[in-house]
Amino acid sequence: MSTPILSVRELSVTLGGGRASSTNVVDGVSFDLLAGEVLALVGESGCGKSKTAEALMGLVPASLGSVRARRLRLGEKELLDLPESALRRIRGRDVSMVFQEPLTALDPVFRAGVQLADVFRRHRGLGRQQARLAAIEMLSRVGFADPDLVLRSYPHELSGGMRQRVVIAMAMACRPQVLIADEPTSALDVTTQAQVLAQLTDLAGAAGTAILLITHDLGIVAQYCDRALVMRHGRIVEEAAVRQLFAGPAHPYTADLLAAARGGVA
Amino acid sequence: MPAGLQLWTRLRADPAGVIGLVIVVFFLLLALAGWFGLIGQDWAAAEGGRWEPAGPQFWFGTNVLGQDVFERAVYSVRTAFEIGLVVAVLSTMLGAVLGALAGWHSHSWVDGSVLWLKGVLDSIPFYLFVAAVAYALQGKPWAMHLAMVATFWTGTGRLVRAEVMKIKTREFVLAARAIGLPDTLIVLRHVLPNTAHILLVQASLAFVAAIKTEVILSFLGLGVQHGVSWGLMLAESTQEVLAGHFNNFLAASLMLFALLMGFNLLVDALQDAFDPKQAVAQ
Repeated sequence: MSTPILSVRELSVTLGGGRASSTNVVDGVSFDLLAGEVLALVGESGCGKSKTAEALMGLVPASLGSVRARRLRLGEKELLDLPESALRRIRGRDVSMVFQEPLTALDPVFRAGVQLADVFRRHRGLGRQQARLAAIEMLSRVGFADPDLVLRSYPHELSGGMRQRVVIAMAMACRPQVLIADEPTSALDVTTQAQVLAQLTDLAGAAGTAILLITHDLGIVAQYCDRALVMRHGRIVEEAAVRQLFAGPAHPYTADLLAAARGGVA
Repeated sequence: MPAGLQLWTRLRADPAGVIGLVIVVFFLLLALAGWFGLIGQDWAAAEGGRWEPAGPQFWFGTNVLGQDVFERAVYSVRTAFEIGLVVAVLSTMLGAVLGALAGWHSHSWVDGSVLWLKGVLDSIPFYLFVAAVAYALQGKPWAMHLAMVATFWTGTGRLVRAEVMKIKTREFVLAARAIGLPDTLIVLRHVLPNTAHILLVQASLAFVAAIKTEVILSFLGLGVQHGVSWGLMLAESTQEVLAGHFNNFLAASLMLFALLMGFNLLVDALQDAFDPKQAVAQ
């Protein structure tokens, strides 16, 4: 068995800042993400999937809630011990994220190319011209036939699928060790979904990036993932290889989820 | 197409905008000419007789002292631009910075302090405040500028604060954080540029308001101390109009009207041209 690239132990996120109304939306989550694998995190809306992702990236604002964990290790580095400045260097370079809404994940006032080139300039220290070339290359790798045109487009001039591919290009720009994809295709139609996911997993496979794929779509889990975590009410109720999960779910909730997904067909 | 050229193409398609641009450029050239000493330098010299009518020697006639009204009106363009630009730039910048600080740290003590300051400034009647500042800084030529900057930023600040509070919850801000940008850079690169439409409108409103306010203050004797402005000319004309002499009154009010009108037309067109979403519609 390969080594875990991301190791999480007893991660909890409490929203509401310690008041009586505060709730544990993520409650003692532990898992290992192995190098190069695609790990699914499935569960119904509001079960804490997205908050888990935001907590891993350190994106939960202190005013909103608190994040606690016993261990949050990326490779050899213990993220809990690092200062904010060191975390900023890791974000986008070693760990990156693809968001759910491609409509709003790009800044509307800048051309797509500027935002993509920014990642290269910031994390790889490239000059303006080199960053531009790197951006063009990255865009052609996510399947754009005319990367030059995309580079010069404003986000609103691109379709949802195109925008999401730009976001994926940004996330994969530095060949991160871990990519957290939070419902990356929920906002897209089914055909575009398949294209985008295929590109995402291809790129990650080539770069050796491990993906934590957050989704509520069991079809996607079956098709693209190696293992799956099933989450409910902020806890992980089952962890299994995908084949095993579909063949014989151990937890009654997983069985319910599978039955619900099959319900449409049966 | 480069962004500048695109902007120009879109602006050119709007006749009102082109008229505005021509008027503003014309006044800008007058202001620059005044600045470099090419025209209007004899605004203080009394070369003619009292209240001479408009003619080939004195285009707009003369005033009670025999000074050339044309020279004075043209030199006042420089005065107007000076105060308009200084107040528009500084008050908009101050509003953007304080508004962004308050919005980014909303519901914290920073936000509270900015809102408190804004509340205090807004609650003082404007001309009373300017008069107080002008008296407190007696003889300082920038007293009027200071008073205007200190009060004009509040509107911009309030709008920017609200916009920043809206923008900071958008995913691209989260995404910027997820690619490792520090807060200051996120605000400067991704939040403030998204308020550019507000800043543009506010700066142009401040430019127009500053010129109008300067005229009113000078009229009341609180504005321009050393020099000439449309406000001072209008103050002079209060005596003259009753006696049937319209030189000062017509020159100052028509030029003020033309500049403000042209500027409003231009900004209106610019606002449309700047909006990237309008480009798709065309």
